[in-house]
Amino acid sequence: MNGLLSLIAEITYRCPLHCVYCSNPLAMSGKDNELSTETWIDVFQQAAALGVLQVDLTGGEPVARVDLVELVSAARESGLYVNLITSGIGLSPEKLEQLAHARLDHVQLSFQDSDAGPADEIAGATVHARKLEIAQEIRRYRMGFTVTMVVHRHNLQRLPQMIAMAEEVGAHKVEIAHAQYYGWAFRNRENLLPTRGQLDSSLELIQEAQARLEGRMRIDYVVPDYYAKFPKACMGGWGRKTMLITPSGEALPCHAAKIIPEMRFENVREQKLEWIWQESDSFRRFRGEAWMPEPCRSCDRRTRDFGGCRCQAFLLTDDSQATDPACSLASAHKDVEEIVQRVNASHSSAWERAQAASATRASWEYRQNPR
Amino acid sequence: MAAARRISFLSARMSRPVETSKPRLAPGCRVSDLPGQSTVLLIPEGALQLNCPGVRIVSACDGERTFREIVQMLQQEYRSADPERIEQETADLLERLHVRRVVDF
Repeated sequence: MNGLLSLIAEITYRCPLHCVYCSNPLAMSGKDNELSTETWIDVFQQAAALGVLQVDLTGGEPVARVDLVELVSAARESGLYVNLITSGIGLSPEKLEQLAHARLDHVQLSFQDSDAGPADEIAGATVHARKLEIAQEIRRYRMGFTVTMVVHRHNLQRLPQMIAMAEEVGAHKVEIAHAQYYGWAFRNRENLLPTRGQLDSSLELIQEAQARLEGRMRIDYVVPDYYAKFPKACMGGWGRKTMLITPSGEALPCHAAKIIPEMRFENVREQKLEWIWQESDSFRRFRGEAWMPEPCRSCDRRTRDFGGCRCQAFLLTDDSQATDPACSLASAHKDVEEIVQRVNASHSSAWERAQAASATRASWEYRQNPR
Repeated sequence: MAAARRISFLSARMSRPVETSKPRLAPGCRVSDLPGQSTVLLIPEGALQLNCPGVRIVSACDGERTFREIVQMLQQEYRSADPERIEQETADLLERLHVRRVVDF
């Protein structure tokens, strides 16, 4: 049996931002369906007893929950390492002090850009300046501090400024990740996908910055798998390490799994975590290798990438069992190549890049928030 | 995002402790010692398994003891081991942790 090591607790879908690449589902439940404080605390205690080491409190915007401090405190007391993934909006200095007192281990503060204009455009809200203020508050406490930045074709040219900004606000780590094309990002993917030229220069830049900042600020860089030769080991494999709980209590193997129509997921209101993890059909569905079709089944890489991402396979081929089309060996890889070629053909010249840079007011589809 | 493909070009320059370095666990990193479970070093993006000397080394990283003092402490505790090897391996571990921004000095 695989050991459940990390829990992702999406404690609410409510959020003051409307990011065009949000990883939340296209249809979201509102406040009325959210799990109670007691149920979340019970989930954390069950998780710790099962050997889970870490919990990510995320959303939506987790700060939108009025019981956040109580949840952090309970998770920490049950023995978990507690990470808060936040936009910072709604996080007052008083609330932050309470969180520090509850022994919050780590804060991951998201930024959309290094420049306020394009940052607020992506967020669909005026938030960048407030985030900078919150960063100053966070660094007063001795807790882990990571800045996260989602990059895409329209902001990748500001990579040096983004790294400088993360240094300036005192982050210990910056995670720079290309949008992953699920949820709202899938809808906006042709606007988000970088060109190959952009990607190549970003890799050089990251390498230089990593060497320069070694031991001071760690830099993680996540590239879009549409440009990869082999798929990512999504979630470290289905049902191998991680469980995600939605605001209403559904237990999923990943952020996007609910898009797979033939699957039914268990709810923590009805079942114990241990049973869900070990016995439920949903967690066993793509665990291990028995489900794999060719070319995965006989591929040497199957123990490294586990056949890639099931949700991406479904999104691009309508078949959740197919080899991830991001893989160059997949029969549907030509569809990914076609999108990549189209984006490169229309955005690769210097003129087009300049146009793209100035015209972020592309036709974004914004995330719609539940109440 | 957990579903991520990470690219790293970290090298090992400039991250080796010197005699007077005072290593300290970085913010957001702590040793977990829950009853009935093995000791792990919890860090922002995961956990690192440590062997016995590893636990001793990391627990000694309080920002006050010097690298020299930590090595001497270990050399006294593990008398049958080669003292040079202890120094070497302690430096190796601290270097790896420094590169990952788990230990500051």
